[in-house]
Amino acid sequence: MSTETDPVASPGQAPALEVERLTVSYSSRPVLWDVDARIPAGRLAAVVGPNGAGKSTLLKAVVGLQGVDTGRITVEGFPASSALDRIAYVPQRDEVDWDFPITVEEVVEMGRYRSTGWIRRLRAEDRDIVADSIDRVGMTPFRKRQIGELSGGQRQRVFIARALSQQAPVMLLDEPFAGVDARTESALLDLLAGFRDEGRTVIVVHHDIATVRARFDWALLLNVRTVACGPVAESLSDRNLRRAYGGVSGEGDPEGATWIG
Amino acid sequence: MSDDLAIILTAGLLGTAAGLLGPFLVLRRQVLLSDAVSHAVLPGIVIVFLLFGSRAPVPVIIGAAVFAVICVLGIEAIRNTGLVHSDAAIGLVFPTLFALGVLGVTEFAEGVHLDLDSTIYGEIAFTPFRTWEVFGVEVVRSLPLLGAVTALNVLLLALFWKEIKVTTFDPSFARVNGISPVVISRCILVAVAITAVTAFESVGAILVVTMLIVPAATSYLLTVRLLPMVLVSVGIGWISAMGGYSFAISMDASIGGSMGMVAAACFVLALLFAPRYGFVTRALVRARRRSAARKPAEAGT
Amino acid sequence: MDWLIDLLPLSYTDSVVFLGAVILGVAAGVLGAFAVLRQRSLVGDALSHATLPGVCVAFIATGAKDASTLAIGAAAAGLVAATMILIIERTDRIRPDAAIGVVLSGFFSLGIVLLTYLANFNNSNQAGLDTYLFGQAAGLLEQDLTVMGLLCLISLAGVALAFRPLKTALFDMAFAGSVGLPTRLLELAMTAMLVIAIVIGVRTVGAILMVAMLVVPTITARQFTSRLSILLVLSGLFGAAVGSIGALISNSGGLPTGPVIVLVGFVFAMTAILLAPGRGVAWRAGKIMRDRRRAATEGVLIDLETALHAGAPPTPEELATVSGRPLRTVKRALTDLDRAGSLRRDGDRVYLSEAGAAAVHTLLDRRDLWTLWLEYGWRLDIPDAREPDPRRLRETLGDDLTDQLLAMASEEQAGS
Repeated sequence: MSTETDPVASPGQAPALEVERLTVSYSSRPVLWDVDARIPAGRLAAVVGPNGAGKSTLLKAVVGLQGVDTGRITVEGFPASSALDRIAYVPQRDEVDWDFPITVEEVVEMGRYRSTGWIRRLRAEDRDIVADSIDRVGMTPFRKRQIGELSGGQRQRVFIARALSQQAPVMLLDEPFAGVDARTESALLDLLAGFRDEGRTVIVVHHDIATVRARFDWALLLNVRTVACGPVAESLSDRNLRRAYGGVSGEGDPEGATWIG
Repeated sequence: MSDDLAIILTAGLLGTAAGLLGPFLVLRRQVLLSDAVSHAVLPGIVIVFLLFGSRAPVPVIIGAAVFAVICVLGIEAIRNTGLVHSDAAIGLVFPTLFALGVLGVTEFAEGVHLDLDSTIYGEIAFTPFRTWEVFGVEVVRSLPLLGAVTALNVLLLALFWKEIKVTTFDPSFARVNGISPVVISRCILVAVAITAVTAFESVGAILVVTMLIVPAATSYLLTVRLLPMVLVSVGIGWISAMGGYSFAISMDASIGGSMGMVAAACFVLALLFAPRYGFVTRALVRARRRSAARKPAEAGT
Repeated sequence: MDWLIDLLPLSYTDSVVFLGAVILGVAAGVLGAFAVLRQRSLVGDALSHATLPGVCVAFIATGAKDASTLAIGAAAAGLVAATMILIIERTDRIRPDAAIGVVLSGFFSLGIVLLTYLANFNNSNQAGLDTYLFGQAAGLLEQDLTVMGLLCLISLAGVALAFRPLKTALFDMAFAGSVGLPTRLLELAMTAMLVIAIVIGVRTVGAILMVAMLVVPTITARQFTSRLSILLVLSGLFGAAVGSIGALISNSGGLPTGPVIVLVGFVFAMTAILLAPGRGVAWRAGKIMRDRRRAATEGVLIDLETALHAGAPPTPEELATVSGRPLRTVKRALTDLDRAGSLRRDGDRVYLSEAGAAAVHTLLDRRDLWTLWLEYGWRLDIPDAREPDPRRLRETLGDDLTDQLLAMASEEQAGS
């Protein structure tokens, strides 16, 4: 785990994600208000905060799914809007129609469409990347299955494989552990840590502070505004958590904390 | 009674009967189920007509209610297979029942008193001419009929207000506490069917569906509590009845259609200007917030 | 179109109706899938009703009655209505079902008013509305067919060309946006496809029944395939089949076309839902019955093994008493075992053949394996929580993990 204080990993290398003075509002209420954040490259970073803190909104704003009132977002030094090929995004899974007629392999192939071109046939190398990605998450025996025939953890693996097949240096995952058990969560985290060790930046929206402390090396603590952003040991101090969760410590008890937000 | 008054009263009573039920359809996300049920009662009417040769209210209502239940059960059965989503199940079942009804009408009942025109889109302009003799007084037939249905709906809400409220808000809580959401849901949909079929001959299926859905949706934009929502919904029903009638008379257009248009106009107004949810209202609030948010930021730099 | 019409062994009018129904089926089948798979089929119901004011306005504006002018009007109204639905949903307050209902009612009311307005000028009666609501296949002209056919071909070509973006957006709109696809445009394209299907079909089956034509082919096709590309092809074929069969029946019986097509469609969809292999209701019910019977048979097999250990080969009656199962179940199980070659009989009495003894062993091994799994399984380093099938644990876990499990267990037992 990194405990260094200097947020820039190496001079000259742009941070994986930098957000400056970002404000986003739904209807009339600001969800993100003048947010600043910086996540250096090569980290396994968590975005933490109570419900309604704007965690998912932040990710959506980065990939352009959510309009922005004002502010600047850069990915590896490029404006986010022109850096979509550097980002692999795994949306929340609650809106997926699990009965949709599509197989594991087809889902992962979607990750290659952008670089291959939307009309051209997938090349042999694309197929290799797809096969490798599926293999990497241990889903090879299931590649011909319709996605509804998988367990919760396996479904999440498929979407991680799709992100992997995009071969982007920055991965954004929105609540990837929702609805999976502790054992699966731990296995998925191993997978993500592996991606980090290969030099990727993995940014995960999560709400379990204990897991973040144990497994992540960077945290952005958010509650409409940035509460803290830095190495886990510093950013998740008791004082910061109290500020983010309004007096209720989020430690090990995210449910207890959420009623405040 | 003047013809004008008879028509407005008929439409207003329909607005009341439908406006009482509509809010619950909107809140329970059963708007389209109600549309389906309103169409699916047609074979019930046809069968009763074929069996008894009559359009007497009571047997027709029973026939319609039976088919309403068949429609709902059919949709649920198909959805419960897990093979078809509920929207597609609705889209499969009600046209099928309706097609059966249309075939029945065209094959067996054509030229008799049951024609598609009056069943499906009705003609409220004719209601003053359909009268009953009650104690020597001529009464416009639709008034006591729709009056009775309105009373029935009022009774349903008055007796089961708590049950309807709790099953609408939190069905699993209701089930745990011994109130069956399924039974309540069936009751509401049967009431929808009865309202629809009673109103068919006077105003037609389309206006029934409009009166069920549009005032309730409008009211949902304007209110935040249940009872006011129901009352506003009924009120919009009356506004549509009166406004639509005068529009139709001045433009020499379809009365039912005009009433539907007025209801839709009310909805559009609410959509734009509702105090909390209107687009214009919210845009104004947002603009104010944004300038407020920017000021300290500018002051900081 | 001439040569096609000449090709059919039907009268001219019937041929036109037949071809119209086939085009309708293909269009509704392929294009409708994009609404059904997004669970927005009832938008199709609203849009079918909403095309009425468009037709009226087109007529009022141009005075023309030809198919393409009216089709343009209908399509424009459909798109406006679809946009309205999306806008209304954006309030967050009004949910999709209410938005659809409101737009349906509002547009249709407007349509009726416009229709009466037309009637006042043209002295025509409201027959137009009837035609519109219930369809009038017999009113189709050859030039209508050309317009419908062209629209259908163009949109099918569009689907083929943009298949991947459409598939991605259909399955996962958020992901589609994150890789830079124009999601608004794709949404519009899918809506436009739905509108085209409706414009093609509404003349034949009418506004009220149109939605059935949109859902039937997709529902049917979905029961036979889990791949989108195959589904679209099948859906088009089923649509064509429903349309043509319906048209033929209505021709020969002198029945109204729209309702007959819809009833044929219902039969198709229900047949698929009930009987589709691997998925259908009857198929699944059959599987449950087979599974239950196998469970009973295996139970009796083990009971028999136990009884044989305890004493002489039992009669079926004795076996029933010992095992506490109904005699009928035992007899049926014995028949199954007999058929599998697991039994030997000695008059009334039954005992196990060699194959039967082997079967019992396999069965007991599997039971033991499950016990071991419960005891030591948590120590295995498996990637994620699988949902193992107790009877087929080795298959679910794979040979490697199973062997690890066995090794772990024997180590443990040797140690204790």
